[in-house]
Amino acid sequence: MLEVRDVSVAYGAIEVLRNVSLCAEPGTTTAVLGANGAGKSSLLRAISGVAPVRSGSILFDGQDVTQIPAHRRARLGLAHAMEGRRLFKPLSVQNNLRLSWQFGARAVPWPTALRDVYDRFPILAEKAHVPSGLLSGGQQQMVIISCATIRSPRYLLLDEPSLGLAPIIVSQIYEFITDFAQRSGIAIVLAEQMATLALKVSDRGYVLRRGRVVQHGDSCTLLADSAASLTASYL
Amino acid sequence: MRRVRSHLSRLVRHPLAQAALVLVLAAISPLLSDGSVQILCFVLVGIIFAQSINILTGIAGQISLGHAGFFGIGAYGAGILAKSYGLEFYLTIPIASALSAAAAYLLSFPAGRVREVYLAMMTLGFGMIFFEVVREWNDLTGGTMGLPGVPSASLRTLTALGRPVGVATYFVILLLATTLFLIIMNNITRSRIGRALFAIHHSEIAAGSLGISRSGARQLAYTLSGAAAGLAGGFYAHLVGYLGPDSFNLHRSIEVLVVAIVGGLGSIPGQIISATIFTFLPEKLQVFAEYQFIVYGLILTFSLLVMPRGIAGLLLDPPRFIRSAPRTRAGRGDGPPVPLRPVAARAPGGVVLSADGVTMRFGGLTALDDVSLALAPGRITALVGPNGSGKSTFVNVVSGLYRPSVGRVTFEGRDITGKPDFEIARAGLIRTFQDPRLVPNFTVRENLMLGAHRLMRGSGLAAALALPSATDEEANVLKRVEAVLRLIDLEAVADQPLESLPYGYRRLTDVGRVLLAEPTAILLDEPAAGLAEPEMERLSKLIRDMRGMGISVLLIDHHMDFLSDLVDDVIVLDSGRVIYHGSMAGMRQDKTVVAAYLGAEETVDA
Amino acid sequence: MDFLFSLLIAGVSVGSAYALVAIGLNMTFWTTRTLNFGQGSLMMLCAMLTAFFASQGVWLALAAVSGLAVVGLLGIFIERFAVRPALKTEGSMGWMVATLGFGTLLQGIAAKYFGSQAVAFPEVVFSASDTVTIFGQPAALQYLVIFVLAVGLVALLELFLGKTIWGQVIRAVSFDQELGRVQGMPVGAIILLSFVASSVLAGVAGMLIAQIGGTVDPAFGFDLVLLGFVSAVLGGMGSSVGALVGGIVVGVLSKLVGGYISTAAEHGIAFALLMVMLAVRPQGLFARPEAVKV
Repeated sequence: MLEVRDVSVAYGAIEVLRNVSLCAEPGTTTAVLGANGAGKSSLLRAISGVAPVRSGSILFDGQDVTQIPAHRRARLGLAHAMEGRRLFKPLSVQNNLRLSWQFGARAVPWPTALRDVYDRFPILAEKAHVPSGLLSGGQQQMVIISCATIRSPRYLLLDEPSLGLAPIIVSQIYEFITDFAQRSGIAIVLAEQMATLALKVSDRGYVLRRGRVVQHGDSCTLLADSAASLTASYL
Repeated sequence: MRRVRSHLSRLVRHPLAQAALVLVLAAISPLLSDGSVQILCFVLVGIIFAQSINILTGIAGQISLGHAGFFGIGAYGAGILAKSYGLEFYLTIPIASALSAAAAYLLSFPAGRVREVYLAMMTLGFGMIFFEVVREWNDLTGGTMGLPGVPSASLRTLTALGRPVGVATYFVILLLATTLFLIIMNNITRSRIGRALFAIHHSEIAAGSLGISRSGARQLAYTLSGAAAGLAGGFYAHLVGYLGPDSFNLHRSIEVLVVAIVGGLGSIPGQIISATIFTFLPEKLQVFAEYQFIVYGLILTFSLLVMPRGIAGLLLDPPRFIRSAPRTRAGRGDGPPVPLRPVAARAPGGVVLSADGVTMRFGGLTALDDVSLALAPGRITALVGPNGSGKSTFVNVVSGLYRPSVGRVTFEGRDITGKPDFEIARAGLIRTFQDPRLVPNFTVRENLMLGAHRLMRGSGLAAALALPSATDEEANVLKRVEAVLRLIDLEAVADQPLESLPYGYRRLTDVGRVLLAEPTAILLDEPAAGLAEPEMERLSKLIRDMRGMGISVLLIDHHMDFLSDLVDDVIVLDSGRVIYHGSMAGMRQDKTVVAAYLGAEETVDA
Repeated sequence: MDFLFSLLIAGVSVGSAYALVAIGLNMTFWTTRTLNFGQGSLMMLCAMLTAFFASQGVWLALAAVSGLAVVGLLGIFIERFAVRPALKTEGSMGWMVATLGFGTLLQGIAAKYFGSQAVAFPEVVFSASDTVTIFGQPAALQYLVIFVLAVGLVALLELFLGKTIWGQVIRAVSFDQELGRVQGMPVGAIILLSFVASSVLAGVAGMLIAQIGGTVDPAFGFDLVLLGFVSAVLGGMGSSVGALVGGIVVGVLSKLVGGYISTAAEHGIAFALLMVMLAVRPQGLFARPEAVKV
């Protein structure tokens, strides 16, 4: 289980997250919703150890990891697909996957792991030796998500996988996410601006507004009860 | 400590104290031994030389590891002119300084093409070339044997107009020259020119958005710095009488860097104190000479980290960048406070700014796809859309940071597609950035002054000599600054350095600064991000005031409640395309928009 | 013709020495985009210490290893106390000044404790009189060692960077440290190691070059590191092949200028080349094309 307890994050004078708590159970997908700048990315970055946590604590299966550096948290089974097309752009698709696998759990042998990715996204097999920076946005997103899943993580953070993508690609990527969630049975935290979409694939949801949790609960309830208030949070 | 510092600062900056120091030095110099006066001369040369680094590195933010070259051009220039052409020192020194300035001006062109470490290497290369040339060009410079026989005050071989010039007289002349130089430098740093140099130091892109030409500012900084180093070199030549290449090697460049860093980059009095200390120490302390390299090394390794503002930061209040004369004049309130004038935009067909079919591609990614829009005078248009939909890219295209792949941008009837950012800003189209890009060590008032840069016309000469015309212009701008301060309600903190203020104040200063430019159209990129409720209210009032003045406003934001009662039109971008253009109320009902934001069913299943 | 050949051989020889220095500079550039401006002092210190230990009767190999160990440790010190804190501040002024300062400090310490006079350097691998004949020209084995070492090192580094996972890790870290950390790469250790490797290589280069001149003094390494900069920039910062080619171009060009025009212009021409290269093509001859950034 992945737990966030009363975490506040501040960059210099700007506090971007205030006393946020969240709990992600294995085998479930937890959606973090909110408009641009609500603090979704900061929450995920705090969990993976690259945001300055001012107070509160983060626990992986009860172990307090707040003081543990990011690269060791990754070794504890965390995978974080960061926002903003974060890839090693000069490196080829395959090398991106390889590096991520290498520093992951390596639960699956490399050839099998690679084949799984290429079976899932055949286009990546075609582009295997192309510098990943030269791929289209959708293809880059596929690489980013595959880099996270190829690690065989115990906790998976996905930051806006739909960002700036065409609807057809979005649905393809979401199909993969739901599938992976079912197959792996791990805890997934999904930050997403597209509320309806995220609530449909998740079990629980947290709505952030200006760095605070303003609403949380069962995804179905959130989806049904609060369509109006959700819209208000966005539009 | 703080009180001591503020008293000390006031003393150091008081014109009477400064005049007294100069007079005392001039008066006691005939009473001192030649040796002591000579050391004082070295101190003054060191002060001018350190200021030359201060101009380039401290103020304009350009590193130089080859400044001994400019110093050397001044020294050899003066020496050769005196020795071979028989010119007297009152001619050789100014000519030498001009030669060095010219060399620096030329260097600024290749140097302008590189940044950071590459710039360091280029200046290092320049210094080394100068050193090699001096060492090997025997006919001109005497090569490794050096150039003896330069008319020298110390050696009693210096004459002017047929009369001998002794060390004491030379000292007084040098003292006057140094004083004049420091006055000019002090005036320039506190004029629109100095502020512009600080602006490119802190953020070149932000400086461009204020109408400051990066290359122009950089050329100016190099030229001034070269002139100062050449001046120091010229005086050095006629002081020592012998020039050897080893006086102009990399160690000289490092030494002056040490002096400037210890003094505190950006501070004029700090450099004076530091140059004095570093000239006296090796002369007076044998021990220091022995450990000189070790000391310099330790200082360079740690001082920027431990004491980034040097002696000046320790002993003195930070410098200010507006002269007091225009401030008192503006404060006297000659006439009524200047109201902010409405702008008269040229809007052919009711359109101030228009984009026609703008497409922006990066490699394989299309960030903007055939975007067209038009802004009318006195209207607020919101540009919204999910993350990554191309809003900021659009602002970057319009403001001249990117050249669009296809399409045209027209401002006040003129085609501005692909024009450099500073020209677009000068034309009156001003933008802000997602993060406020202000000069952190400037006060709110000084930052606001920067906004008016595009309107200020005063000449460099007027600024250097603080002529009445420059004072008038500054005073007029200051009155408008006062009006904007009132509008953004920051009068109480107007004279506090921005870095000490909370984020919201910086944001308001950033937006307020735009007003000082008297723009006809403005582009605000997420101005409300990170603001608390009361600050948002102030901001929205400010934006309304802008509309009231007839300015066209394009506003990117995500806070719909902030936008809803503020804007006249909304344009929604999604994946680089305009998917909606109309009223705010209509947008909430629009299926495509709701789908784009919330990711509704229709879109996913499509 | 003989004259030309002898100039070319001399040029390639000194050029290989510059290349060795340039490769050392590249190593920290790979991981942090920084250059150690004090590299020359590390070369000097390693040679100086080796000469000192050897003069105290220490077995030569042990003396050399001790010298290398000291500069390796200094590499850790530089990364930890000069570069890492400076990288937290904006711009590159901080680390440039700090590494320049550290070099000056070492030079000052060496001058204080070993004196500013040149110290005789023992013959580590070959003596100055060992030569082989290439195209009818005698070539000193001392130089040849450097050439072989430089070529071998470039080949190894190209293999390491291109074919091994750690080469990929280094490229990844130089592109995006944060992403590397999030993926579990020991970024801090990699950076530290790059400084150690760079310093040790500087030490090796220092010893090999010192045995050619036969002496070492506190200012030793100073010109070398400048010419190493020129070579690295010419070939493209970060490129090993570039460093080799750049070094040889600088070496050959300066020897040709020295031979046919004037020895006085030898170094000047290298710095002129540096400035022209920076102004015209700052990425150098062999820089890898960067993938598009969006």
